Amino acid sequence: MKNIHGESFEIRLEEKSSTVLFKGAIRLCGTEDYAPILDMLKETLINPTTPIVLDLRELEFLNSSGITMLSRFVIQARDHAGIDVQVLASEAVPWHARSLKNLQRLMPSLSIRLT
Amino acid sequence: MMTSQPPGSNGERSSECEYLTLAFSPISAPLRSRWRNNGLSADFLGDYVTTFLPTRGGVPAFEGRQNELKHAVTYVANELLENAMKYHQPDVEIPIKIHLELRSDHVTVSVSNGISVVQARRYQAFVENLQQGDASDLLMRQQEESAKSSESTLSCLGLLTMITDYDAQLAWRFDARPTQSDSMTVTTSAVLPLKDVLGASA
Repeated sequence: MKNIHGESFEIRLEEKSSTVLFKGAIRLCGTEDYAPILDMLKETLINPTTPIVLDLRELEFLNSSGITMLSRFVIQARDHAGIDVQVLASEAVPWHARSLKNLQRLMPSLSIRLT
Repeated sequence: MMTSQPPGSNGERSSECEYLTLAFSPISAPLRSRWRNNGLSADFLGDYVTTFLPTRGGVPAFEGRQNELKHAVTYVANELLENAMKYHQPDVEIPIKIHLELRSDHVTVSVSNGISVVQARRYQAFVENLQQGDASDLLMRQQEESAKSSESTLSCLGLLTMITDYDAQLAWRFDARPTQSDSMTVTTSAVLPLKDVLGASA
């Protein structure tokens, strides 16, 4: 299991289940600052169990640089053969219903479970 | 939709609206230490706007919609402040200002900052490109492009998501500075519609 912590967030990679859990609010400053998180996400592409799960249910805020980081990952996953991505989202978090649909446009097979 | 002049940017303030302005002197601390302030200010504006929304017996009427609006104001304020902090020309004396204005049918969040003339031209080129195209297509295209390169570019993805995800109407104003010909003041405004938030009268 691997972790990335910040003042207001926590991200955890569970390698066995190819799951990445996000919690809190992430507002890092651009591509460079998001690189360690993108690298962690990309680790799920090395020996993936399918689907790769992005659990965003407790991620209350993500700035546009963070959304770009997610879209970069989704594009990379799309360009690998045989990879499925599932996003777990929450109806109680306003940005999920608003912004996650853009990931589906980038990768039409991506599934979003909004609960 | 876009106009070339942000509403409410010409100094006129109606007595029939609520507004709040915060100003920052960007030369006082380096970007990294100021970054945290973007989130604090944006969260504050999001909370602040809910003060003016109707309540019933002490609890918010239309709570779900109000939560949506609070988040939309926070997101938009945060993106505008991040852009202003990133692109502000450090050697000019203009403060970075964020202004929130609540009207009967919309909320405006606008941010002004000083930028170099070179940066202003790039920004104007982006605005022209956006006015001729579709924000949603432009967003997809820029996301595909950003996936190919690890470098940061002036892609304005934050502005595009305000339009595509939050129905914001954006407007820009570029003012020349008579005392400093190599810099300009840019004001970016985002208007968020107030749908079903203020009750039946709105």
